Amino acid sequence: MEYKKTAVSCDILVVGGGIGGLSCAVSIKERIPGADVLVIEKQTAGYSGKANKGGGVLQYFDLDRVKPEEFLGFHVNAIGAFLGDQELMLRYVSMNHEMLDKLSSWGVNLPKEPDGNYHVMPTGPMTAMICVDLDITLKVRRQAEKLGVRFMDKTAMTDILVTDEKASGAVAFSILDGECYVISAKKIVLATGSQNYRIGSMWSSGRGDGIAAAYRAGAEMRNAEFGNFAQLVKVKSHNEIVFGENYMYNAKGEYITANFLKHRESDINSNAIREWYLQMTSGNGPVHLDFGETQQEEGALERLWNRPYGRKFRELNDSAGAAVDKDFEVCPMFIGEQSPVKVDNGMQTTIDGLYAIGDVSYSGSALPGAVPAPPGRNRGSGILNAVFAALVCAESIEKKGVGDKRPAINDEQVQCCISKLYAPLEREKGYASKEVIALIQRAMAPVEQSVYMKRERMEKALEAVYEAKKMAENMSASDTHELMSCIEAQAMVLSAEMQYRVSLMREESRGWFLREDYPETDNENWLKWIIVKNSGGEMTFSTEDVPVEKWPVKPVN
Amino acid sequence: MINTNHKIEFFPEKCVGCQLCYKACFVDVIRWDSENRKPVFKYVEDCEHCFYCQSVCKKEAIKVVPDYASEHLLQSFSRYA
Repeated sequence: MEYKKTAVSCDILVVGGGIGGLSCAVSIKERIPGADVLVIEKQTAGYSGKANKGGGVLQYFDLDRVKPEEFLGFHVNAIGAFLGDQELMLRYVSMNHEMLDKLSSWGVNLPKEPDGNYHVMPTGPMTAMICVDLDITLKVRRQAEKLGVRFMDKTAMTDILVTDEKASGAVAFSILDGECYVISAKKIVLATGSQNYRIGSMWSSGRGDGIAAAYRAGAEMRNAEFGNFAQLVKVKSHNEIVFGENYMYNAKGEYITANFLKHRESDINSNAIREWYLQMTSGNGPVHLDFGETQQEEGALERLWNRPYGRKFRELNDSAGAAVDKDFEVCPMFIGEQSPVKVDNGMQTTIDGLYAIGDVSYSGSALPGAVPAPPGRNRGSGILNAVFAALVCAESIEKKGVGDKRPAINDEQVQCCISKLYAPLEREKGYASKEVIALIQRAMAPVEQSVYMKRERMEKALEAVYEAKKMAENMSASDTHELMSCIEAQAMVLSAEMQYRVSLMREESRGWFLREDYPETDNENWLKWIIVKNSGGEMTFSTEDVPVEKWPVKPVN
Repeated sequence: MINTNHKIEFFPEKCVGCQLCYKACFVDVIRWDSENRKPVFKYVEDCEHCFYCQSVCKKEAIKVVPDYASEHLLQSFSRYA
């Protein structure tokens, strides 16, 4: 069947209508009011993404009390494990108040004290947080509309077009009727989120299709091995329990948190996941949480969150969960958060004119170091990282200039992308996308494969990934909904392959990255970033030294 | 999650056709019937039980009934498979 093909053009194409994409669109229009900015979104911009489905928490730094350099020292040692770009982290902290003021000026309701200061809740000696309502993305969409940003909802981007090593456009299709759009643009901003393999509910929008499109176009990836985030959840409702790692007990009633935690940390560490696995394999499971007297205290904090829009959303989730959760038995839920698109400090990928912001490039930017994408041990950094990257990206585009004319689009390239895109609809018989996804999920989810890693276990998982890769070449779809699922399944195969092949290379443990067979951190050999690239259809690997010598915080050997 | 068994109850007589549930669904479970100005719950097997559609519906025309047992965490111990 032939689908209608429509040519679309714009100056700047933003792919993804979550908090990152919307913030970037607004910021570009503020800086370059004459620019024609188009946001395309697979579902509905302002409703998509993760910012409006989680805690609505913004990280806050009291810059009169904590200097950015002090937070950097803590982060590099306790979280990033020397793999982070310290220059970028310093900038992220320094811009904290600018970001909050921007969100406020775009109509986001940041709660304030009677004296006009933000209502801030301390979370530790260095950090604090501000709770915002979950209509945050809708407010930013409205601001974007006011400034003249154009929107195409229900439009899924499948491929990025490159002409003479410059990004020139994208191929997309309507998930409603299959219409194909060939979009030409002077600059492209990817804001498509991380790879989460459709395992965790609130994380389910991140299906890695933007990562895969960037990879296929030839963009380099970095820190792909830090795409293995897992969280403790209640075993029945699968509702996550933030900070639950501080209250873990085994079936014998022993306080097992003491086995891996000397003092309370900023957030869950992969050691908590390892501890759960060790308890289970030694017959001491199941694992329960016991909050003792602190439970009431944490409930009291919840009551302070006066957020009318988000309250109903949270209450519905909590009450439905409470109906099935009879106790506090927990187990890990694999989430992923792979975010490997490599960008420079102006958020440009290794392809000229292609930018990547937010959860698609969090690890790839090297900002956080050896930890998966937000909430990766730095609560409240998810939304603000996306806003940070958006502002930096807009600044970078303004500095470079939008350009006078759009790069020409290569028709042959377009035809090739289109025939691949619609192939599952043409195929009468083939694998269902969900068969492929199920196999990938089984390769990724068991935490002894993906979080507490060992060569043999990873190789076994990789075998399953290769099987899924073969099946993915022969998928069929009966409608556009299934077609989208096929594209996502291909992206999941790619992410999983990268995850395991890069993890096998890193023969050490560092930060969140934990190997049973290489338990020590190896600064001599592994103060390096692993770079992945598509070279003529082959996945190729190289390493880059982390330039710690030029940054303020250095490892002590 | 894939192939879940969550249910979505819909009360058409309460629906005013505002499209908010359709917009809120981030996993393409809900499509829109323009002729009748009503949501169509077309791909319920992909529902993530996020409750977003129910939350935004001011007329209480939608109720999500999760079947948590149909979601799988896929850990290696049979208890969690």
